Amino acid sequence: MKSISLYEEKGSMLNRLGPESKILYIIAALLSPMLAGTKWVGFGFIICSVILLVQSRVIKKTIPILGVSGFILLTVVIIQGLFREGNVTPVLSLGKVIFYQEGLLFAWGIVINVLNILLCFCVLILTTKPSDMVENFVRHGFSPRLGYAVISVFQIIPQMTETMATITDAQRSRGMETEGNLMVRIKAFIPLISPVVMSSLINTKERALALEVRGFNATNKKTFLNDQKRNAADRYIEWSLIVVMILALVWRILKWQVL
Amino acid sequence: MAGIIVKNIKYKYPATDRLALDDISFTVEPGEFIGIIGRNGSGKSTLCQAIAGLVPNFYKGAYGGSILVDDLVVKDTEISDLCKRVGIVFQNPFNQVTGSKMTVYEEIAFGLENLGIPKPEMIQRIDDAMELLDISRFKDRNPFDLSGGQMQRMAIASIIAMKPDVMILDEPTSQLDPQGREEVFQAVHKLSQQGITIFMVEHNMEKIAEYSSRVILLDDGKLVALDTPGKIFSRMDLPEYGVTEPAFTTICKGLHLKCKNTDEYPVTLKEAEEVFRVYQSQKEENRNG
Repeated sequence: MKSISLYEEKGSMLNRLGPESKILYIIAALLSPMLAGTKWVGFGFIICSVILLVQSRVIKKTIPILGVSGFILLTVVIIQGLFREGNVTPVLSLGKVIFYQEGLLFAWGIVINVLNILLCFCVLILTTKPSDMVENFVRHGFSPRLGYAVISVFQIIPQMTETMATITDAQRSRGMETEGNLMVRIKAFIPLISPVVMSSLINTKERALALEVRGFNATNKKTFLNDQKRNAADRYIEWSLIVVMILALVWRILKWQVL
Repeated sequence: MAGIIVKNIKYKYPATDRLALDDISFTVEPGEFIGIIGRNGSGKSTLCQAIAGLVPNFYKGAYGGSILVDDLVVKDTEISDLCKRVGIVFQNPFNQVTGSKMTVYEEIAFGLENLGIPKPEMIQRIDDAMELLDISRFKDRNPFDLSGGQMQRMAIASIIAMKPDVMILDEPTSQLDPQGREEVFQAVHKLSQQGITIFMVEHNMEKIAEYSSRVILLDDGKLVALDTPGKIFSRMDLPEYGVTEPAFTTICKGLHLKCKNTDEYPVTLKEAEEVFRVYQSQKEENRNG
């Protein structure tokens, strides 16, 4: 594995959009339900995210993410449905187990919020090259050092993992036991710490030197090999999202006035 | 092209007592190829990093003397400015990959982006560097997918694209397999024909003898000798400095066979062939006579 990024180039509409549009989509998806004061807006954004992910042919990659969170959300539904304070209206009974409407509605709100957050972030991370995203931040004034720190993680971590595996094999060939019960594994960890840490420190120093001699700390304005990804579609989408947020706010104000 | 003047350089790493460089002085003309040899710990890498400005600007420590790259005083120049004139390639090709770029093409562009080179010029420089190092066919590959030799050539291309006047190669082949080493030496040979001033630290004495116009012999931070490969490798005291001469030089020393017109032992294969040819014909004459 050369990168821990989840990005895959599929040539889809979302791939062609700039990172700013997708980040604004996340902001709209998170803010609009709050502004409108109704979970149905969040539900609408969930449907929208699913459609976008299906269209981009990356929906399958969301399954592991949703699988893990799905398990947690199921426990939330069960616990809130059964035990939430203020549960008075039974709605479902399975033998002696009774689910209450108030708890289930509360859990439903949490499920909508969590799924909305997960799916809108998936729209960004599954369809955006990490280097494009960081490059856009740097173009807008983000520190290049911080940008490098963020982007290098995607490739350096798998390499460090491979190095650790090599060191583990080397120690194993010197007689270190690595498999067995928990105590054996904990004991095996100690002779690994020193070579792994030393190796990481040396590699980091050498990489820092390599960056220095390639002008990493130059103070002049940086240029970019890749053109900024931005077209008319980005502008339409961004304006549309802003309009949606404004409409959500207007809806909320009108609701207050009616009440 | 740039000339280098090294004047009375002394240097001690932080928190150490020993001088890593001890009063070294020499001059290098533009376009020269200087081989640097010596035992481990003799100061070869430190000298390279001093010319590149990493000593003292990165490592700090106690520094005396001066190094001039043309009109630039190295210790007073920021590394980000000096790197436009002096490029350096290190031993470990893996640690020279930035890790922030997904293709070889973008990786080579990294330094040019930092220096603010306009895009059209950037593309031209990258294409030229890739062609020189024969890595154009890898341009869309992930840098971590390359072999050691290919990665080292990419590292050299990354520096060459920045168009330095001086190129330093600090044991560029020590972590490579034989094929990788040969790929890098071929790349270095092409570089030497471009007229760039080159410093190369190597333990492969055959290559040092083949490429260098002059050789620096270091020991314990001191400059022992700076001379042509023929004169350096003809010395009989090389083992005292932890250095062995090229294999054919050793054979010729054992047979007391020197080059015809000089008082030196052959240091390249071509010279050795000539010497053996003369030796062979003399033997035949003696046999017939």
